[in-house]
Amino acid sequence: MYRRLGNIHWGPLLAALALCAIGLATVSSASAVGGTDYLPRQALWIGIGLIAMLIVFQVDYHTWIELAPVFYAASIAMLIAVLMVGRQVGGARSWLGIGSLGGQPSEFAKLATALMLVRYLNQVRRPALDLRHLLGASVIAAVPVVLVMLENDLGSAAMFGPMVLAMLAVGGLRLRHIACGMMILALLGAGYWAVGARGHQVQRIASFLQPDKDPLGAGYQVRQSKIAVGSGQWMGRGYGQGTQSQLRFLPERHTDFVAAVLAEEWGFLGVLTMLGLYAVFVASTARVAARSRDRAGILLLAGLLGLFAFHVLYNTGMVVGLVPITGIPLPFLSYGGSFMLVNFLITGLVLNVDDRRYVNR
Amino acid sequence: MSRAREDRFHRALLVRRLVRLTGLTLGALALIALGYWRVQVAEGAYYRQLADNNRLRKQRLEAARGWIYDRAGRPLAENIPNYALSIDRSLARDLDATFRFVSKLLAVPTEVLAMRFATARSGPRFAPVVIADHLSLETVARASVEQLEHPEIGIEITHRRLYRLAHQTAHILGYLGEATPRDLRDHPLRYRPGDLVGKQGVEKLFDHTLRGRDGARVVVVDSHGRFKEEFDNHPAEPGQALHLTLDVPLQHAAAHLLEGKVGAIIAMEPFTGEILAMASSPSFDPNRFAGRLDAKSWQALLDNPQHPLQNRALQNSYPPGSVFKIVMAAAALETGIDPKDSVYCRGFSIIDNHRYRCWNAAGHGRVDLRAALKHSCNLYFHHLGQRLDIDQIARYARRFGLGQATGIELAGELRGLVPDRQWSLQTRNSRWYPGETISVATGQGPLLVTPLQVATLMAALANGGALVRPRLVRDEPPAASRRPDPRLHPATLAFLRDALDAVVNEPHGTGHSAHIRGFPIAGKTGTAQVVRQATRTSNQELAPDQRDHAWFASFAPVDHPQLVVVVFVEHGGAGSKVAAPLARALYETFLAGRSRNRPAA
Repeated sequence: MYRRLGNIHWGPLLAALALCAIGLATVSSASAVGGTDYLPRQALWIGIGLIAMLIVFQVDYHTWIELAPVFYAASIAMLIAVLMVGRQVGGARSWLGIGSLGGQPSEFAKLATALMLVRYLNQVRRPALDLRHLLGASVIAAVPVVLVMLENDLGSAAMFGPMVLAMLAVGGLRLRHIACGMMILALLGAGYWAVGARGHQVQRIASFLQPDKDPLGAGYQVRQSKIAVGSGQWMGRGYGQGTQSQLRFLPERHTDFVAAVLAEEWGFLGVLTMLGLYAVFVASTARVAARSRDRAGILLLAGLLGLFAFHVLYNTGMVVGLVPITGIPLPFLSYGGSFMLVNFLITGLVLNVDDRRYVNR
Repeated sequence: MSRAREDRFHRALLVRRLVRLTGLTLGALALIALGYWRVQVAEGAYYRQLADNNRLRKQRLEAARGWIYDRAGRPLAENIPNYALSIDRSLARDLDATFRFVSKLLAVPTEVLAMRFATARSGPRFAPVVIADHLSLETVARASVEQLEHPEIGIEITHRRLYRLAHQTAHILGYLGEATPRDLRDHPLRYRPGDLVGKQGVEKLFDHTLRGRDGARVVVVDSHGRFKEEFDNHPAEPGQALHLTLDVPLQHAAAHLLEGKVGAIIAMEPFTGEILAMASSPSFDPNRFAGRLDAKSWQALLDNPQHPLQNRALQNSYPPGSVFKIVMAAAALETGIDPKDSVYCRGFSIIDNHRYRCWNAAGHGRVDLRAALKHSCNLYFHHLGQRLDIDQIARYARRFGLGQATGIELAGELRGLVPDRQWSLQTRNSRWYPGETISVATGQGPLLVTPLQVATLMAALANGGALVRPRLVRDEPPAASRRPDPRLHPATLAFLRDALDAVVNEPHGTGHSAHIRGFPIAGKTGTAQVVRQATRTSNQELAPDQRDHAWFASFAPVDHPQLVVVVFVEHGGAGSKVAAPLARALYETFLAGRSRNRPAA
């Protein structure tokens, strides 16, 4: 174990820990006015995350991939359980109560699906995937996605997309398959919009397109978030001094909009620091994948990278009004137990792949 | 290809794709950074401003309006606390329950409350909405007790205007009302929507000094509009006090004397023009619209056929009747007519085939000018009307200030009408008939005067011939108040004073009912016909709006005049019976006040 820790690749880990530190400070500032200080609970989840990361790190990732069907089946079962007895939070039924702590099985389902897809796609010994494998992979991904969509947690369901796409892209996609897939997705999307979209989703997209139309209605969050971000200017208003967050104009301050609090209190320099750390995490993960010894490692990291990077891009883009608002948290910064845990599991798997590159060589 | 080589080939392919994907991701991160740069750096100042707008609320600090005092410093208009009831929606659990509670508290139906709430809520989203004001202290107490149960209910304390003498000073002080769109357009810096501004009288004329300057308090609020801390504070500058020339006891007495009558009473200091009392009846209570405008009672005032809003002392004009004989006498004396010339009055005379009557059908016998004034003999003045030219009469009428505004501070003053040949041609498009001069000679015909003009006329007789400008405001320098002299001979003035002394103080004078022992009053009665009567009918038999106007114009004491009193009672009847006793009562009040102020004298 000590040998392993000695060889650890510090890039992703240091970036993760630095982001956690920023997250702790920002969550504490953001929740200073809310009555509950989330700092101790966030710290607790970081601790749990670190332990989980070490456990994941200890066992060779090939073993995890072998066990994928078990995790996959378990998470499907949990998703079904949520549908039947889950708690409703913010318009979406996606929480499983475990004592006083809530957990979101959909977060773990993503990781299980990633492992399952690696296991499936690893069998392919060709430069590009053929239609059969493409369909097989789609079925593996579709089952949890449909279940999460049934929970009405569209944002979380959407996060499967970039993860699966990244794995398929790295596995090798043919141009005609890409074209077909896009058409199918477009049709599915249009059908969902016409029939299945719930009121708050339509509203969010409409308010994204015209945020100033209804400043006190659905556009309120976008507007208040942009005001918070913009008023930070270069240097920020100072820690604990952000008027938008401290006077509670900003919604979801310690969760989905934590980046707005950071931007308001630390300014553009703070934002650059944060985005820089994410860049470090992404680049060093890519580096780990590049020197990984086998297909399995590369595919796994591609999926994790897709999952992680898309969270970062979507959340930071949403806070500054570049994309419609949906409940997607920011890795390592947003308050939230299961999501924090997933991010550390990702980190653990990255370190795991890096560590095993010398084995059997 | 061996299995290992094939694997390596595939691995390199996969890595190449992954590196491309990573490049894409890092590029997207850079774009996101650009997005933040745009919002934070390029447009940062704009969003900083929006953030400040979010958190800062400007609250108005109402400037206390200046009080208005009488000549002795007694308050006429003051500010008292006004308790208003407001509802803060952000604290209301159940608005319907709130309405039910308030409805019981104020005895106002819930529908009315809901309507007021709906119309008043156009303001800021979280600002409390005022739905009732002028609450009694008892209501305030009952609301306060329930505030634990109903935290959304607030009691706001503002100022409201209280006019101590209510309707008795309404025409002078005026009243307050909400600024009209026109006020806002004309004075964009002085008024803001919803401001209470002076609408009439002194409140309007001196609004700019009375109102002071509102202050502002900027506070930091949270997203629920709840107060957090003070950010900035500019205290309000209270308005300046205004001191009037009025005397509360006299004003009260004058208004009281007119109660139930229609008319005006003026009491004026003869040398300075300071108005001690100016009452007009009927009146209105300005306290009733000191706050929010009550449309119904406002319309009732406008529709009232007796026009309570009109200040009859200066905003309406009437035939002066026999009071005008003073002007006729002055004109006669100044043009060299011998006052000893006499006329025999037998109750009527025929001039140019027209029968003219004296008010005394039995006739006055032989009368000279002094006797004609004392008995108010019409025949004598009919005779004088034949000897004087209308243009000559008009010239003297104007010297006494008739036909022109007196220049008092109040707005809406009428100029009255002094007819002459030019006027006849210009406005009536007809020539002047000599018979009309005979009517004018007894204060009838087209001639019109305001009671205030009569007061300046009497003041000129009293003060030795100066035409004073009536004044209501004490703070003003009196130097500007003098107007051109009527240029009358001292002998003329002396004669008139003596004759008017006789009117009141000699037993058969028409104004004897105003007589006060030891306080010689000089005066002239007037009974102005409203409709021309072909045959003599008793005034009592006429319809109320066709009865004669009663006048009594006076000053006292004769030798050292201190006070001018003019009484006018619309359709009141005979001046000697109706108006003169009212003047006497007012002089008595004046004397009572003087002895109270100088007990040793």
